Amino acid sequence: MIEERQVTLLGTGSRAEPYNRGGTAEDSPPGDLCLVVMETPNAPHTEASAAVTDPPAELSHRLAVLLGGIARRDQAAFAEFYQLTSRRVYGMARRVLVDPELSEDTTQEVFLQVWQNAAKFDARAGSPLSWLMTISHRRAVDRVRSSQSSTDREARYGASTQDIDHDSVSDEVGSKLEAEAVVRCLGTLTETQQESVRLAYYGGLTYREVAERLNAAVPTIKSRIRDGLIRLKTCLGVS
Amino acid sequence: MTEMNHGRNGRPGAFSDTVAMDLASGRAVDLAELYALDAVTDQERQAIEDYVSAAPEAERAAFLARVRQARETLAMTFRVEEEPPADLFNRIVAQLPAEAAQQEEKPDAGTSVPLSGRAAVPGSGDELAAARQRRKERRGPAGARRWLAGVAAAAAVALGGVGVGSYIADQNDPLNQVVRAGDLREASVDVSGGGTATLLISPSEDAAVVKMNGVPAPPEGKVYQMWLIPKDGSAPVSQGLMDEDALSKPAVVRGISSAAALGITVEPVGGSQSPTMPAVAAAPLGA
Repeated sequence: MIEERQVTLLGTGSRAEPYNRGGTAEDSPPGDLCLVVMETPNAPHTEASAAVTDPPAELSHRLAVLLGGIARRDQAAFAEFYQLTSRRVYGMARRVLVDPELSEDTTQEVFLQVWQNAAKFDARAGSPLSWLMTISHRRAVDRVRSSQSSTDREARYGASTQDIDHDSVSDEVGSKLEAEAVVRCLGTLTETQQESVRLAYYGGLTYREVAERLNAAVPTIKSRIRDGLIRLKTCLGVS
Repeated sequence: MTEMNHGRNGRPGAFSDTVAMDLASGRAVDLAELYALDAVTDQERQAIEDYVSAAPEAERAAFLARVRQARETLAMTFRVEEEPPADLFNRIVAQLPAEAAQQEEKPDAGTSVPLSGRAAVPGSGDELAAARQRRKERRGPAGARRWLAGVAAAAAVALGGVGVGSYIADQNDPLNQVVRAGDLREASVDVSGGGTATLLISPSEDAAVVKMNGVPAPPEGKVYQMWLIPKDGSAPVSQGLMDEDALSKPAVVRGISSAAALGITVEPVGGSQSPTMPAVAAAPLGA
């Protein structure tokens, strides 16, 4: 099966920096990986598809339609959009902010922004979920940076570092298979790349704060984040 | 850790210590992932947006494509879910009419209100347009400014509050007032060229103490100059000069409540009216 081959291929070099290796993922055409990840969710023989609430493409389409409705001030569309996505927004806010009240406030702000700015959503610039999570993460990070010193965040961050691999357990937005691809693709990052990306995403840390926390050189951390995200992107077939 | 060395050993295009230097050396596109991840400070975000909005079409397109891809990747990867409180939706809906009314009053709210301006996907053309708009609004009659963007404004900059040379390097009283404040918070930033600047920040005293540690003397004919970067986007305000002697002494900077950040630049002896980029250090002052 193609997936197995990809796992092996990418898995072998997981402790090396991707840009310094030859003959591995970076050299294979991205389309190859793209096929693997993009087509599997719709493969007829996959058992997991029974558990899939909505394949990602259909969900994206639905969310885009709903955003169109919200732009026309359709409250029913807003309610459905909220129903489909609020667990993601609130879940991420809780990870970044920890405090339930701050997380609620942030979720509230995010959906008010959705209401206000749905007309600005441009499908050519990305998926609805990406649009939403971009707004959400930015909001949460703004909040955490204004309410806590970086020292607090670093101290607190330990609680939220574990198991992003298992984030997808109750995955309703997007498919189980996509979630499995994520777990597999995360495994293709070096541990230090994973760590740096997580610290930045869930810790709300800047690259400089990540560097301080990991006691690493600033340029090194910048490279890790860039290389880690590029490798994930390639493995997930994002194009 | 061998892996750590790899990053430094320099394939061409390796990162530098600061975003300003990355931008100045043509690595804007390589900052796309950090930008998409919100792993930069507000000032750096602004600098990147300023740079990209003025960049050649091909570079801008490459940057935006990388940002878009990174965001899709992040949305797919970090998918933790948690059920919000049951009444949260109703609380949100309760606020909608007011929001809608505000929209009617301000049809262009998207570019003029900070909250809604942010909601455009940052890094999309939309957001860059909004950034341009914000920048334009910030400029005002005094002229352009770009903090950390590598380009200094030559236009007249009003020196408000404490003027050049008047910061207090060795008066103990104000220093002790700040240091004894109950709400003291410490922050430290790297200074390009070596060393760090440590800030002891006291919101209640509306002041910060700046102490340079291991920072080399300024080059011949130059001094360090400190600036407060106002939250409202107006021009940076000089907080005084530091020559080699002053470097070893803590300095008190007042009026920080209206400032988003403190910046340090290298300027000709006597100081400048506006900062010469790139800054050697910039520290967010927080809320």
